[in-house]
Amino acid sequence: MKAKEQLVKERRVSAPSDNAPPPIATSVIGISKRFGKTGVLENINLEVAEGEVLVLLGASGSGKTTILRIIAGLEQPNTGRIELHGRDVTDLPARERGVGVIFQSYALFPKMTVEKNIGYGLRIRRRRRKEIRKTVDELLSLVQLEEHRKKYPSQLSGGQQQRVAIARTLAYKPEVLLFDEPFGALDTQTRTHLRREIRALLRRVNVPAVFITHDQEEALELGDRVAVINKGHIEQIGTPYEIYNHPATEYVATFLGAANILDAVVREGFIETECAQFPTQLDRQKFRPGDRVKVVFRPEDVSLSRTDFLKTDQLKLAPAHVEEVSFVGAYERLRLRLEPPGGADCAEGETPYYLTTETPENRPHSIIATRSKPEASSAQLHIGDRVIVAITSYTVLPSD
Amino acid sequence: MSTVVPTMRHVRGFDVVRPLSIGMLVFMMLPLVFLPLASIFIFGTSNGLDKFWAALMQPEAVFALKLSMATSFWATVFNVIFGLFAAYVLSRHNFWGRNALIVTISLPTAIPTAVAGFALLLLWGPYGTLGRFLTPHGFQLMFTAGAIILANIFVTFPLAFGVIKPVFDTMSRSLEEASATIGATRWQTFWHVTLPSLRGAIVSGALLTFARAVGEFGSTILVSGNLAGRTQTAPLYIFAKFNEGQIEAANAIAIVLALFSFLIFSVLFFARDWFDVD
Repeated sequence: MKAKEQLVKERRVSAPSDNAPPPIATSVIGISKRFGKTGVLENINLEVAEGEVLVLLGASGSGKTTILRIIAGLEQPNTGRIELHGRDVTDLPARERGVGVIFQSYALFPKMTVEKNIGYGLRIRRRRRKEIRKTVDELLSLVQLEEHRKKYPSQLSGGQQQRVAIARTLAYKPEVLLFDEPFGALDTQTRTHLRREIRALLRRVNVPAVFITHDQEEALELGDRVAVINKGHIEQIGTPYEIYNHPATEYVATFLGAANILDAVVREGFIETECAQFPTQLDRQKFRPGDRVKVVFRPEDVSLSRTDFLKTDQLKLAPAHVEEVSFVGAYERLRLRLEPPGGADCAEGETPYYLTTETPENRPHSIIATRSKPEASSAQLHIGDRVIVAITSYTVLPSD
Repeated sequence: MSTVVPTMRHVRGFDVVRPLSIGMLVFMMLPLVFLPLASIFIFGTSNGLDKFWAALMQPEAVFALKLSMATSFWATVFNVIFGLFAAYVLSRHNFWGRNALIVTISLPTAIPTAVAGFALLLLWGPYGTLGRFLTPHGFQLMFTAGAIILANIFVTFPLAFGVIKPVFDTMSRSLEEASATIGATRWQTFWHVTLPSLRGAIVSGALLTFARAVGEFGSTILVSGNLAGRTQTAPLYIFAKFNEGQIEAANAIAIVLALFSFLIFSVLFFARDWFDVD
């Protein structure tokens, strides 16, 4: 069921569209940056298409903010170029680039009213008062703040301030919008709400945007594409679907949520882990028999049954014992200890099974599975129960 | 919740410490501050308001007050602009010797005013380091109104800077960065974004500088020459009349200066609220 759904999605993603691809709005070409002796960015290459939303996802200190500041012209790269609609702007100061930056703190001018803030970009461009007035009115109604036009930023809520900040940049028709952790200062509920609001707003104005975040859920929901940044380089760029379901590296797999990782060896026509073998077709160019690899799969891709009867899309991994059952709101989470073909618990000593997120302490011999509520209640499992573990979707990564 | 209980106890019971400490504070301030100030007014008006008015309208007295206001005004203008500039440079740039500069700017408050006046004489006076080359060319800065302004600038040097710099330091850089990305030049950013946030600090810095300059005595008496009707400021006038035994004349000016400082400090007290309305 699940696999079928994924196949449909996958086809849609991989099928090339008939229309010509939209023009590139922003290119980051070979950017490197060092602060003193520490390298912050290393050969970053990115492209943002017209109307597209690209999310830079990374932990704090990964260099994602520096990329944004370099695009904006607030920081100078050591090597590389920035192009906006094909125009090289690397040597232009921030004020001549025409990009819109929405700062984490919104950076609204505290002594200006909402309408003065929004009109600022046009006032310093010496536009006619009538024209400014008209644009400000339009933007106020776009962000639905008409009744707040005479207020000062400190009198607005966080979400309203953010809308003013966006309107303020839209006033001068920016080539690209850059959002620096825009939801960082808000509580979870407001954050989810605003995220959807901004997504809808961006679709309406059709301005390309780059978001910065460390929140994987936010990245997946906001981005047309997501670039995962780690220690100053790009680990992977792809659609949310691609990076979540087909992570290119272990870092991407673990950063985007919980992932089970099994050490395995490539054999002719199948993969062998210490507990199981399963048939697979791998890219011959990338993997040769005898190579050590990692098999990555998400907790929700694990299916459990009491019998050996499996559906066609399921790959049998191994029998396992339930070690822990916990109820986590929307779903049930189980920790399972895999059983080797021989009988005793699989793989003592080395760490064939480990979990990289969700559990801070490294639990070497277990995998994590999640089940939906109806599944959990129709086939209840208790600690000590023996189940057959199968997976419906997985990714094979080279082992390093 | 937990804080409610002790507060209730205070309200219900009688707390002896409260009236006692307040009373003691007022009592201590009585001979130190209140009574000296009161006696200026009591003495100055004891012979009737017309006597007070006549003493105040003496040409030399009027001149002294005007001179004090004018010299203090120009010293204030200079020091506010300088303080703004110095605060901008020292909070925006980090460079070798930055802390040494900050200390040097703040130094004049710690130097005795007589020493400050003396130092200016040694530099600009007829036999001074620079003055001896300038005097033969007919340039003599000392013993003029210019010398008074110079002395005022010296002794009030760090006041405006000291008020403005902390505001600069705490101002978010992203405001200026936002202005730049929106397309503003440095000057537009300063004028539209930075300066409005400094309004309160500039006003209080200016008032502080002005109040201090109007009352300056030690350095002024050395550099001005103390010529009545020419280089005699209000504080010098008080001192001169007192020496001559004309207590009423001295007192009239003293009342004006005291009232003036009351006014300035009440404005100062509310300045932040008036000028930093968001």
